[in-house]
Amino acid sequence: MIYLDNAATTRPDRNSVQRALRFLENDFFNPSALYKEGFDIHREFESARKSLLSHIADSASFEFLFTSCGSESDNQVLFSCARRGNFVTTEGEHAAIYNAAAELKKRGIDVRFARLNADGSVNEEDLLSQIDGNTSLVSVIHVNNETGAINDIAKLASLAKMKNPDLVFHSDGVQAFGKIPFRLTKEIDFYTVSAHKIGGIRGIAGLARGKRRNLYPLIYGGGQEGGLRGGTENVFAAKQFEYAAERKFSALEKDFEKVKKFNESFRTGLDGAVFRILSADTASPYILSIAAPGLRGETLQHMIDDHGVVVGTGSACSSRNRFSRVILACGADEKTADGVLRISFSAENTGSEIAEAIRIINLCARTLADKMK
Amino acid sequence: MVNLEKSLAGIRHEIRRPSGRYVVENFDASQAEEIIGRLKKVFGVHTLSLGYKVRADLDAIYEVVKMIAPRDGTFKVETNRADKNFPLNSMQMNAEIGGRLLADIPALKVDVKHPQKVLSIDIRENGDALVFGDFVKGAGGMPTGTAGRGTLLLSGGIDSPVAGYMVAKRGMTIEGVHFHSYPYTNLQAREKVEELAEILSSYTGELHLHIVSVTHIQEAIHKYCPAEMMVTLLRRFMMRIAERISERVGSQCIITGESLGQVASQTIEGMTSSNAVVENLPVLRPLVGFDKTEIIEIARKIGTYDTSVLPYEDCCTVFLPKHPLIKPDLAKVEEAEKKLDIGALLEEALSSEEEVVFGK
Repeated sequence: MIYLDNAATTRPDRNSVQRALRFLENDFFNPSALYKEGFDIHREFESARKSLLSHIADSASFEFLFTSCGSESDNQVLFSCARRGNFVTTEGEHAAIYNAAAELKKRGIDVRFARLNADGSVNEEDLLSQIDGNTSLVSVIHVNNETGAINDIAKLASLAKMKNPDLVFHSDGVQAFGKIPFRLTKEIDFYTVSAHKIGGIRGIAGLARGKRRNLYPLIYGGGQEGGLRGGTENVFAAKQFEYAAERKFSALEKDFEKVKKFNESFRTGLDGAVFRILSADTASPYILSIAAPGLRGETLQHMIDDHGVVVGTGSACSSRNRFSRVILACGADEKTADGVLRISFSAENTGSEIAEAIRIINLCARTLADKMK
Repeated sequence: MVNLEKSLAGIRHEIRRPSGRYVVENFDASQAEEIIGRLKKVFGVHTLSLGYKVRADLDAIYEVVKMIAPRDGTFKVETNRADKNFPLNSMQMNAEIGGRLLADIPALKVDVKHPQKVLSIDIRENGDALVFGDFVKGAGGMPTGTAGRGTLLLSGGIDSPVAGYMVAKRGMTIEGVHFHSYPYTNLQAREKVEELAEILSSYTGELHLHIVSVTHIQEAIHKYCPAEMMVTLLRRFMMRIAERISERVGSQCIITGESLGQVASQTIEGMTSSNAVVENLPVLRPLVGFDKTEIIEIARKIGTYDTSVLPYEDCCTVFLPKHPLIKPDLAKVEEAEKKLDIGALLEEALSSEEEVVFGK
């Protein structure tokens, strides 16, 4: 099987799982316990926190909270920081922001969505024009999960704060963390990251938080995470996340170049008569969105799957949710949006896998196009 | 009795059959609700009631009657005395218990013709008595297995599970056939149909679902036949496949969820065109005269509605024409079909058949 749906989830990194296993099997103690076994685990947990933060920010200005998933991190920021005035976000957000925003709207918050450019990045002018003196929170995705479009969040945060220095700026960095070279700037208040997109396991994620930024818990409990998230710490997952991130960040640039080559192979190797490339050249090389107008993405995905290659679709084949909201927001017509495939790479893929996948995808697309004639 | 036993599989109980009714006893009181819930799905059971077992002693019986009696309104007492040694006969017992209740609960009145509540006492020969209060309606109908076997075309929609329920209620055993067009449809759609079969099987007992791919048939129709005939021709293939499977498993009819005029293909002409390929079996359409709202009401009652409305498509819309034929002409349909190798397509579809068993 050739796995090219790494933006959905990645295979857990074996080396990190092995290394962290002792926290599952032997060193299982509760880090909040006062005996020395517990205290040792507490120190291990804190070292994971420190290590994870160090990849993207300095510990003088930022701290790192553990959560259970990227969606939780996003929700915690939204429901903490968008309590009054208006909330400005984009049409290119992940469902964790988009649907939480819909809930905020129901609760009476003025929610504003900024338009996207054709390449999937947010339209800067439109974003800034929606921000005013009543804006309490701005949230802009760092790397879009469907198109790979990169937003220059450092610049956007700085411009946003020039318009209103009191607003809080958040970014969902789930598809950027460990993949795109980047460090948090002081105008960014919150930043969401997740383990399972970089070889970590599911059930653990994080929220980088600018020091002293206001935040409220979603889960009240025993005072863990400085009172911001109740629940016994998931030490095994946190350590495995730490180890996986260590490996990712140490190879970040090398992997970036490698994946870029995969991406370029696809761009040049796909049958131009069938496929259109939706992702811009400037997008993250880890995500390549393509469309076969007139064919249905999900049908194509199934055929490709039957040939041993796993790729993603823009969205599931359901009558309620047939077309990807994000792809449509980039200005694509419905015929294009219906035929979207998302190819997402990992540095664990090999050149020969990529060549084989391109061959199979072209073959299946031509076969399906013939059948639909 | 076998159907009752099956429905209570996994719960400790005993079933006996005194005159005119079945008695389930010796179960854990905590499981009473679960037992009633399951028995309410057994066809052939018209009413059921939770009873209390006591010593056949006047005072002991009255204690229970008083406990379950309403606090106001009208009532009557009905006694059935199997143990003729019991000191009071049925009439005396009714009068005695009724009199005590009237004295103890002043807001109660007797109404022997139209009581709001009937309190039943069953004095048995073994020295026990049973006291019943509320009677709830059972599933009604005829016991499963008493009316032959039919093959139900089960899609993921609202109608077909209801059609299956209707014939099962009259005692028919059901075989299900489901058609998919993977890769044009997805695995979630199949999971949905399996869920529907599982729900249906809680009424019908063991249900075999035959899952058949019609992908190649759809592709061939798309390639060789007029686009507006897709639905008509596909339905004819589905009927042929259903008949083949029926012959093999011993089904005596084909059952569909069609309702007259509901969608473009469910016209009398459409039905004529699909009936024409069924050689030996009758095609039953138990919903033919039902409105959609009536079908939905039953679907909600039997618990299939929420699953049926999940959004996955069961028959790919990618090949569906914008304007399907509403009144297909049989001669033209048969003419169009001549371009297809029907035998080979049927063989191929049948070779894809998988069988999944529910409600074992």
